Amino acid sequence: MTAAVPVAHAAPAARPRPGGMVRRIAQEEWRLLRRDKVAMPALVLLLMLLVAAAFTAWDSQRNAEAQRSRYQAQAHEDFESQPDRHPHRMVHYGHFVFRPLSPLAAFDPGVDGYTGHTLYLEGHRQNSANFGDVRQSSLLLRFGQLTPAFVLQVLAPLLLVFIGHASVARERESGTLRVLLAQGLRPGQLVAGKLLALGGVAALMLLPAAVALAAITVTTTAPAGLAALLLAAHGLWLALWVLAVVAVSAWLPRGRDALVALLAAWACSVVLVPRLAPEAAASLQALPTRFETDIQVARELAALGDSHNPDDPYFSAFKRQVLAQYGVSRVEDLPVNYKGLLGMEGERLTSELFNRHAAESFGRQATQLQWVDRFALLSPVLALRRVSMAAAGTDLASYRRFVEQAEQYRYRLVQALNQLQAEKVQFAQDKSTRDVRIGREHWHGLADFSFTPPPVADALRRAAPAAGVLLGWAGVLALLLAAATRRLGRMVR
Amino acid sequence: MNAWTHEARLLVRSRPDVAALVLLLALSTLAVLAGLREAARQQHTLAHLAQLQQQVLQDQAAKLTRAGEAGTAAYYTFHDTWDAPSPAAFLALGLRDATPYVLRVRALALQAQLHEGETFNPELALAGRFDYAFVLVYLAPLVLIALLYDLVSGERRAGRLGLLLALPGGSGRGLWLRRAGLRAGLALGGLLLPVLIAALWQGMPGLLLAGVVAATTAYVLFWAALSVVLATRIASPAASATALVGGWVLLTLLLPTLANAVLARAVPVHQGVDLMLAQRQAVHGGWDEPREATLQRFFSGHPQWQHSTALPAGFSWKWYYAFQQLGDESVAEAFQAYRASLLARQQWTARLGWLLPGVGVQTALHRQAQTDLQAQLAYQDDIAAFHARLRQYYYPYLFDERRFTRHDFAAQPRFTASPRPEDAAALSLAGLAAAALVAAALAWRWPTRAGWPDRR
Repeated sequence: MTAAVPVAHAAPAARPRPGGMVRRIAQEEWRLLRRDKVAMPALVLLLMLLVAAAFTAWDSQRNAEAQRSRYQAQAHEDFESQPDRHPHRMVHYGHFVFRPLSPLAAFDPGVDGYTGHTLYLEGHRQNSANFGDVRQSSLLLRFGQLTPAFVLQVLAPLLLVFIGHASVARERESGTLRVLLAQGLRPGQLVAGKLLALGGVAALMLLPAAVALAAITVTTTAPAGLAALLLAAHGLWLALWVLAVVAVSAWLPRGRDALVALLAAWACSVVLVPRLAPEAAASLQALPTRFETDIQVARELAALGDSHNPDDPYFSAFKRQVLAQYGVSRVEDLPVNYKGLLGMEGERLTSELFNRHAAESFGRQATQLQWVDRFALLSPVLALRRVSMAAAGTDLASYRRFVEQAEQYRYRLVQALNQLQAEKVQFAQDKSTRDVRIGREHWHGLADFSFTPPPVADALRRAAPAAGVLLGWAGVLALLLAAATRRLGRMVR
Repeated sequence: MNAWTHEARLLVRSRPDVAALVLLLALSTLAVLAGLREAARQQHTLAHLAQLQQQVLQDQAAKLTRAGEAGTAAYYTFHDTWDAPSPAAFLALGLRDATPYVLRVRALALQAQLHEGETFNPELALAGRFDYAFVLVYLAPLVLIALLYDLVSGERRAGRLGLLLALPGGSGRGLWLRRAGLRAGLALGGLLLPVLIAALWQGMPGLLLAGVVAATTAYVLFWAALSVVLATRIASPAASATALVGGWVLLTLLLPTLANAVLARAVPVHQGVDLMLAQRQAVHGGWDEPREATLQRFFSGHPQWQHSTALPAGFSWKWYYAFQQLGDESVAEAFQAYRASLLARQQWTARLGWLLPGVGVQTALHRQAQTDLQAQLAYQDDIAAFHARLRQYYYPYLFDERRFTRHDFAAQPRFTASPRPEDAAALSLAGLAAAALVAAALAWRWPTRAGWPDRR
């Protein structure tokens, strides 16, 4: 320490401020990086990949969206241009709705490729969404999709590991650490400089994503708050790796040890745990098949009553109630068509059952996801994915929202048609749904379905716990880094 | 002293290496167990559903045959179809988590039923399964890299490199190959041991097991050889580790992902939706067309029912089923085109496997396990064949206006899965083997002594 004193005496004004020292260390690190024949091409490759990912994702999202809205318009037109018909035929003709893609799905498509986007809505049935990409894409989809989220979540941390694993260790291995500290540099300054250098690299990686998100926000209806959340979450994710890389580099004696340890951490947290967690969740909470649910629903319906059986207790009570309501004694005397009323009551009962079972199934799936979320304590990428998909509107909850809105719409449509049967078709004539028809103008205005995206606050609320986990990780890693820094000072002394 | 035992003793003394091998064995065991458990769960579900289906049929029999009308029975009777997991399915669960392996169909238009989805949690499917295929494709290369990346530089660090090279035997090729061979062989053993035990226990056919062993061996050989190539040509351990992990990222994460993006664009599959929309128009338009004309159109394609009596006034089941079938027939071509484009995607993926061993081994394993897109299409074919039998069974009752009795109800056709030929995925294996042999040949072409990467 004494060796530094004369220098300080000789030129006190020239002694750099602490901040300046940090910057100089970072600049030195960047200079090394620029000369590195492996790191620089890898970084350039990653940035190109990010740009390509942003472009392809944006382009395919735009195509998919255009296609879906074209199909939606076609389905709408098909519905409205149906000829004169019995309303019940229209109940079975049904309607198609197409799940619109959230604009931010270009950044993180989430479950979109897995859920299917075409939903056929008809009377007495709840169909599942069809034609998901996973059923149509061989197995390549299982390797991942080229999106900014994939590049930032999986590849960027790996590059940070390669670029940064030697940052502090190199100084120690080559003996420069001792010299630097002897010249009065505090360990904290050194570590801060290395953090700044690696943080700069991380910021560079985030830049294409930021530009892409800004472009999406400007050109579409995507809420800026959610785009900002996406950027912030991925920024935090990269910050976690910057902290971890520098801490491990400061802690372990050799650069290669740091590299091996960090690679193992990456492989576990990004590749292994994200697969183990869903496996565990699926075996802890299994889902019944559609087959079982359908049979269960049919049984519960049969237990309720049979509308075709004149002696059925439930439906004779319903009939009595209708007759009493209109003050008549025979269904023939009703001012409305009893068959239409019966259809409405039947639809009400089936929908109630369907909705209960659908809610149960979604509830089970939510429980599965809670199990997965617990694994975020082992692997923060799970927390990041939760935040990312919630913000992009591509998580299970967003899909559920679509399915439920579509179901509400289906119910309204079918009931409107049943009501037309009750009001426009006379009971005495209602013998054949083929021969009795009402005017086609009645179909107008029924086919309008538009999905209302969830309020921004919804996504924020869903993302909050996972964001908390990410911040917790940041806190733990910062403590680790602080400990490593203190250790650095002690080791050299 | 035997050189191999000496090498083995050295390996046992290296704690990280032993840990890596034990970890691989543990992960492979865990994956095989998870796969067995899932396959057993699916079998159990199938057995349970078959029982449930029998009950439903029994409950329905009296009610659906009361009027003696085949049309009513055909309308309300759902028939179960199933796609049982193959004996190798536990190794690679593939698409079975996202596609139905049970589906109920009835004698109405098939196209409206065939594409029905299954209840699954998309977020869990998104992550992909933890099965043997995953451990092999993603994790085994990482373990091999960890075992082999400092094959040469590790000796230098220990100060033995000069001595070893000076030993009789010249370049020391035998030593390195023995060293790499022992590690790769043990890794292969760690991967295959749980598979072999499970295969024997499951009674997996020999051809399939041979295929799985061949695929695993070729893939391990590829990565071991690649590791040797880079470890012997790059002096610094950090640089060879970087190059190897970089190669792993490229081959197992990046290029397949890029290929998926390219393939999705090059072979667009929109026809599925078009198919549904067109089929619905055809079927529901059937209600508005003159009934006699519809029936004549049906008879021209199916003259064997031409003798049927004239349509009664009011509703008629035979007319109803005729236009249901016409609806299917109107989109038959579009359906073939849809299938063809799905198969094209599958074929391009298989071809890609010739270049990318990760994709190649995925393709081979999933083909052997019959859990890929092709297997899904084969199941759809089985459903279609059964559906055709169902129609044939009902049509005499409908068109000859025969009474449909309880006995007839009980004698309805049952779904049978067509036997799936064991498929060792020879083509994918050949591609994989070619990649492995090229890498092995490169590893065999040892740098001459002068070319040893001696600088630090």
